[in-house]
Amino acid sequence: MASKIVTFTLNGHETEVLVKPLTTLAKALREKLGFTATKCGCYEGNCGSCTVIVNGEPVLSCILPVEEVEGQSVLTLEGITPSEGLHPLQQAFHENFAVQCGFCTPGMLMISKALLDKNPHPTQAEITDALSGNLCRCTGYDPIIAAVQQVAEGTNSNQGGTHE
Amino acid sequence: MTTQAYFRPRSLAEALGLLDEHGPAMLVMAGGTLAMPLINKGVSRPEKVMGLRQAGLDYVRSVDGGVHIGAAAPLSRVRASSGVPLLAEAVKNVAGWAVQNMGTAGGNLFAPPPAGDLAVALLALDAQVKLASHRRGERLVPLAEFFTGFLTNCLAPDELVVEIQVPKPIGKTVLLKYGRLYTNTPAIVSVAVRLLARNGRVNDVRIALNAVGPHPFRARQAETTLRGAALHAEIFAAASSTAAAECEPFTDPIASADYRRRMVNVFVQRALAQAAA
Repeated sequence: MASKIVTFTLNGHETEVLVKPLTTLAKALREKLGFTATKCGCYEGNCGSCTVIVNGEPVLSCILPVEEVEGQSVLTLEGITPSEGLHPLQQAFHENFAVQCGFCTPGMLMISKALLDKNPHPTQAEITDALSGNLCRCTGYDPIIAAVQQVAEGTNSNQGGTHE
Repeated sequence: MTTQAYFRPRSLAEALGLLDEHGPAMLVMAGGTLAMPLINKGVSRPEKVMGLRQAGLDYVRSVDGGVHIGAAAPLSRVRASSGVPLLAEAVKNVAGWAVQNMGTAGGNLFAPPPAGDLAVALLALDAQVKLASHRRGERLVPLAEFFTGFLTNCLAPDELVVEIQVPKPIGKTVLLKYGRLYTNTPAIVSVAVRLLARNGRVNDVRIALNAVGPHPFRARQAETTLRGAALHAEIFAAASSTAAAECEPFTDPIASADYRRRMVNVFVQRALAQAAA
């Protein structure tokens, strides 16, 4: 079967991409469309670094064929980063030193964004549950959880900003 | 990437027709959480793949106090809306949120141990699986008879798992998963127990185990030990050591076979005590 065109909404913009059968969303984003914020750590669904949001739900883009997002709405880290300054979650990650090498950060931010969109005031247990599929080998997780909690409590220096 | 075709059938009939036409050369995939890692790594190089996300099999329906789950229902949907606490608890212990959004109830039956934890809950609940083929129609198989060995099952080459049927749970249920972490962790042992007690005696009981055998299974000898017995710590201990004796644990990077067997003893006992409490 020849390559085919997949059409979907990427960060609010109608997007087309020409792919071979079973090309993953992560590969399409990074290699075809130039959206490289999404990182691929393990290519097997274990690490969570490729997490993006499809129709409000976090999914792993490195094991999702891009054909499955035909007609759907995909949100990546590029889509929540303001043109100037930082998203409240990015700001909180910065303030809490929740970023060391940074490789897991795009996935951590997207899963946190998905959580706060569904549950603006999660408990620490709910944060831990939501983030449990995202691995970080630097921070020991506490600063990441603290950052999400800070945004949930609306106490970071960027609290005037929206979550979008 | 050697895959030449990715089919996305829009109905069960279309899916069964594609399977009939292309046969076992076509890999069947639901959420992709098992198949895509193997394809990404080049371990699996299927020429044709069929994805079941659009095939109308993603429902979770309450039926007479039980639930019918479409084979391609995401685990997160099972967790949120099956109405059966034991199933929600089982899904809660499967990987992380994104995998629960992608992985499916039917697909989880094809996960090699120590993965595939949903099955212990389903076995304890006497679930049946509906299989369907283009030429031969549908049949219902008790889940306990579905598994035949490590990564093998009773599914014919022209059949798909289309639905999991869970009857109304009777008795008290408990699910315990023991791993090296509290969450998102491969099991050392998973145990699900359903216990129906009458007048201080065991009227009926199910004990299902995973990660300690070639596939999820019922510890039938341990169940027999318990039937009709008075609810007592001693009989739970006896049943647990029977379960430990009848399991066939394996060694992997998570735990040794010997340790797994010991933990069967501990966790079956614990689950029985909680179910009897």
